[in-house]
Amino acid sequence: MSDLLLLVPFAAVVLLNLLPKRARAAGTWIAFAVLALEAAAAFAERFGYAGEPAWSPLGAVFGFHVAPDGLSGLLLLCAGLVGITALLVAQKTLRETRERFFFANLVLVALVGINGIAMVRDLFSLYVFVEVTAVATFILVALDSFTEGRGTEALEGAWKYILLSVIASVLMLLAVAFLLLSAGDTSLEAARGALAARDPLAWIAIALFLCGLFVKGALVPFHGWLADAYTAAPAPVSVFMAGIVTKASGIFALLRIASSTLNGATPGREILLVVGAVTILVGAFLALSQKNMKRMLAYSSVSQMGYIALALGGDLRLGILAAGLHFFNHAISKAQLFTNAAAIERELGTLDMDQMGGLGSRMPVTAGTSAVATLSIAGLPPLAGFWSKLLIVLALWNVGEYGFAVVAVLASLVTLAYFLSLQRRVFFGKRDERWAAVRETTPGLWVPAVALALVTIALGVGFPFALEILLGGGA
Amino acid sequence: MTQTALLLAIAVPAVAALLTLLVPNRRAPWAPAILAMLVCGFELAVAIYVFPTDFAFAWPWMGFGVDFALRLSRLSAFVFLGIAALSFLVTLYSTVAMAKAPSSRRFHAWVLLTVAFSAGAVLADNLVLFLVFWEGLLVTLFAMIAAGKSRPFATAIKAFVIVGLTDLALMFGVMLTGHLAGTLSMSAIRLPLDGLGAVAFLLLLVGAMGKAGAMPFHSWIPDAAVDAPTPFMALLPGGLEKLLGIYFLARVSLDLFMLSPESWVSPVMMWIGAATILLAVLMALVQKDYKKLLAYHAISQVGYMILGIGTALPVGIVGGLFHMVNNAIYKSSLFLSAGAVEREAGTTDLRELGGLGKSMPITMACFLVAAASISGVPPFNGFFSKELVYDGALERGWIFYAIALGGSFFTAASFLKLGHAAFFGRPADEKRLVKETVREAPWPMLVPMIALAGLCIFFGVWNAVPLEGLIQPAVGAAMEGAHHGTFAGFPTNMLLVGLTGGVLLLAVLNHAFGVRRTGKGLGAVDHIYHAPGLASVYKLQATGALDPYRWLNGTAGVAARILFAIDRAIDWVYQTFASGLALVTSGFLRRLHNGSAPRYILWALAGGLTVVLIALAVVGGGS
Repeated sequence: MSDLLLLVPFAAVVLLNLLPKRARAAGTWIAFAVLALEAAAAFAERFGYAGEPAWSPLGAVFGFHVAPDGLSGLLLLCAGLVGITALLVAQKTLRETRERFFFANLVLVALVGINGIAMVRDLFSLYVFVEVTAVATFILVALDSFTEGRGTEALEGAWKYILLSVIASVLMLLAVAFLLLSAGDTSLEAARGALAARDPLAWIAIALFLCGLFVKGALVPFHGWLADAYTAAPAPVSVFMAGIVTKASGIFALLRIASSTLNGATPGREILLVVGAVTILVGAFLALSQKNMKRMLAYSSVSQMGYIALALGGDLRLGILAAGLHFFNHAISKAQLFTNAAAIERELGTLDMDQMGGLGSRMPVTAGTSAVATLSIAGLPPLAGFWSKLLIVLALWNVGEYGFAVVAVLASLVTLAYFLSLQRRVFFGKRDERWAAVRETTPGLWVPAVALALVTIALGVGFPFALEILLGGGA
Repeated sequence: MTQTALLLAIAVPAVAALLTLLVPNRRAPWAPAILAMLVCGFELAVAIYVFPTDFAFAWPWMGFGVDFALRLSRLSAFVFLGIAALSFLVTLYSTVAMAKAPSSRRFHAWVLLTVAFSAGAVLADNLVLFLVFWEGLLVTLFAMIAAGKSRPFATAIKAFVIVGLTDLALMFGVMLTGHLAGTLSMSAIRLPLDGLGAVAFLLLLVGAMGKAGAMPFHSWIPDAAVDAPTPFMALLPGGLEKLLGIYFLARVSLDLFMLSPESWVSPVMMWIGAATILLAVLMALVQKDYKKLLAYHAISQVGYMILGIGTALPVGIVGGLFHMVNNAIYKSSLFLSAGAVEREAGTTDLRELGGLGKSMPITMACFLVAAASISGVPPFNGFFSKELVYDGALERGWIFYAIALGGSFFTAASFLKLGHAAFFGRPADEKRLVKETVREAPWPMLVPMIALAGLCIFFGVWNAVPLEGLIQPAVGAAMEGAHHGTFAGFPTNMLLVGLTGGVLLLAVLNHAFGVRRTGKGLGAVDHIYHAPGLASVYKLQATGALDPYRWLNGTAGVAARILFAIDRAIDWVYQTFASGLALVTSGFLRRLHNGSAPRYILWALAGGLTVVLIALAVVGGGS
């Protein structure tokens, strides 16, 4: 059954390309259907999210094991929600049918990779699916350059992404090779055994693999590509990347390794803690002085990924729960913020925050939803972000990492600072004459934003129930 | 049914207050006043309906022993009745008095909320619930003063600070009492007055006295007299606040704590009462404004109640409570007459007033009855309650009696002066305030005044009705020690009556002397004003130097400057240092990110190398 998660998006890609050229507009609808199935699959009990190895003919043919669990469900849900949002944004921001068709195609390809990442249980397959996702994303970032006269910036962004991704690939392949030497197998269980035996080669392998994932997840100092790629990418691509691609290929894989392989062992835990803390601080401070709205959001993403790494370095069970929650919250909120940014870019034609101001009265829905998402990420109760941050701090506190807990708390002040500055510069203050005619954006852009903001509020307010479901789901 | 009635008594005015705010101002400017009057009429009906019953119920509310508990005891039933009756009369009055005021809508909304909170506070049987309603009254107090005309905001803040501070004391008192008693249910608390118990008692006492406006928590009242709307003065400082404050004082002294004459708290209360009587009445004596003079009496009269209850003797307690009722009646009536004068003559400045008796005979008649009551002239109600308080005071020490009697002298003197200056004699500008231009007040203003004046006579002549029907049952337990079973009827101690008569006579003689000396009614007490010793005190008072609020402000000013310096330092750390550091860091990091791909690759590689080396070092070192 789990194979369907790989086969359906793949079949959809094939189907899309069999469509006659005139019917390409329908491609988006096929993609919508697939993503809706994806989100629904997250809730489908019959996938048996118990972490047990699942029956998989594909796996038998290609030699990999799949074992979906509660975390997989979380990723599928994120992918579904964010993917639908990105497609909706694409409808309103990509002008040509051709672009939208490419976009739908690439989203589906990336989805194959993401679904694979969600389920596989060995490092090599993980690497393969990460690469599948990455290849689709390279092209997505450069989507603008397909149109004449645009896109040098997009090409540059994509180029940096590829360069650093290549390094990641090298590191990860090297890691797989070392692990084969050390443990004779690349499964997470085998790696865990080798680590427990304190085999230096295995530790080098895991360290290398982690570094590869750090690049994919853009943790400091492996983050150079992210801001340029996010900023240069067209609006729906930013939504898709920030919402799910970076998180699935970098952070989710990290989560998987931390929970199944590292198991809280030294020095894996310490590496995660230090990299996480550095990432939080550097990302937050970088975000503080940005003028471009998307770039600020990009650095904010960097900083928030640090929180997840930090959580994985904390108390094992609580840390993974907190990381999973923060993963979900951040995916939802950041996808929404990039949707807001897309709305602003569409109405104003610029993302330079110095030229904005006073848009709140003109675009009240955008301003309101943006406030919800920013406050949630900054960790204000009763929004969802508050709970995940609280759990992260608790996870650190429980194992006596008081210093890192304090960093986590203090950095949320910086988070609040840059988000308040964003909110103030964009939505409050005096409005420039130029924006006198600006109106609230099209429903195609604000409806998904409202929907995601409602998710944030609902999860925050109903957190105790959500926690019960998550704990019951085996996270 | 009683339960529903009690809940409605709190809910209906509160909902009506919100409704009032929804009424469009332009379309129906009269609607809020009418609505307020009708709701207060309903309140009165409820109060009469529930009066004969004893009733208690409790709903679990906030947990931790904080229940939504209401209780209708004899004491609360009768104070509730007083509140309802008084607010009905005042709202009837204000339908006309506030008709032209631009703030009428807000004012009536606040009146209704005040009624709701007052009913809640009187009926509450849980200390925390009581506190909730009590604090609500602080808000409405502030808002109602702020609805006044000239420069009400400073006064509103003053009232808020003073009453707020006493409420704070009350809050601590409630906490301490709850802690000592182990319960928050008021009817279950019965604490001895020793050690921490005495501290809790004093804290609660401060809260009660702050509400009642006793010294030294009084100084906002004379200011409010000038700035706030007149119906407000009649309703709150004149009536409701006395009822509530003294109700709570009685509740604390009789129910929550076992106040006895042997306790050291009793003389403390008596001294506060005595000081309040004398100091406030001396201030009242020399006022040159109708409302301000009344305001000081509103303070002074509280002294009698506190003195009476402070004696801890049945006769004093009954006298104090009876005085509370009487004071609410005549003081409201007096404030209402001031409002009528203000409306018709356009001023309350006694230097301009005069000879109004000819054009406003009914107002004058009501004033005379109420003034006689407050001065303690038989057979009006004030005489009987004061005699009871004297009786108790004398039993505890002649000095208390002497001060209380002295207070009566000055009270009588100041009302002789006030009546003379306002209703007799001649106005300063004889063309303006003549019979042709000044008319009698309209009937919605007269009816409450007449009703209250009528009550002054009724409660005096038939004092058995309030004493045996209302107050003695309310005192209940304390009455057991009373020797003759009832305090109704004419005072038995003829010596005291004689002394009272003598003092009143002395006041009249003093008035005649003063009028002859200066030639006008307003100057009747000038010789006291210029008396050696007193003159300097009065001068100090005129500068505001004797206002405790001033002292508080002075101290607060110094403290504020010190704290401000500390605050600036802390602010610098956050505002300048921390944010500067953040911006410098941020700028530095941003300059590092110059978009160069090789640089980013280098970082990633260096990072990777570091991570691997560290892992290796740790594992290698450990194995």
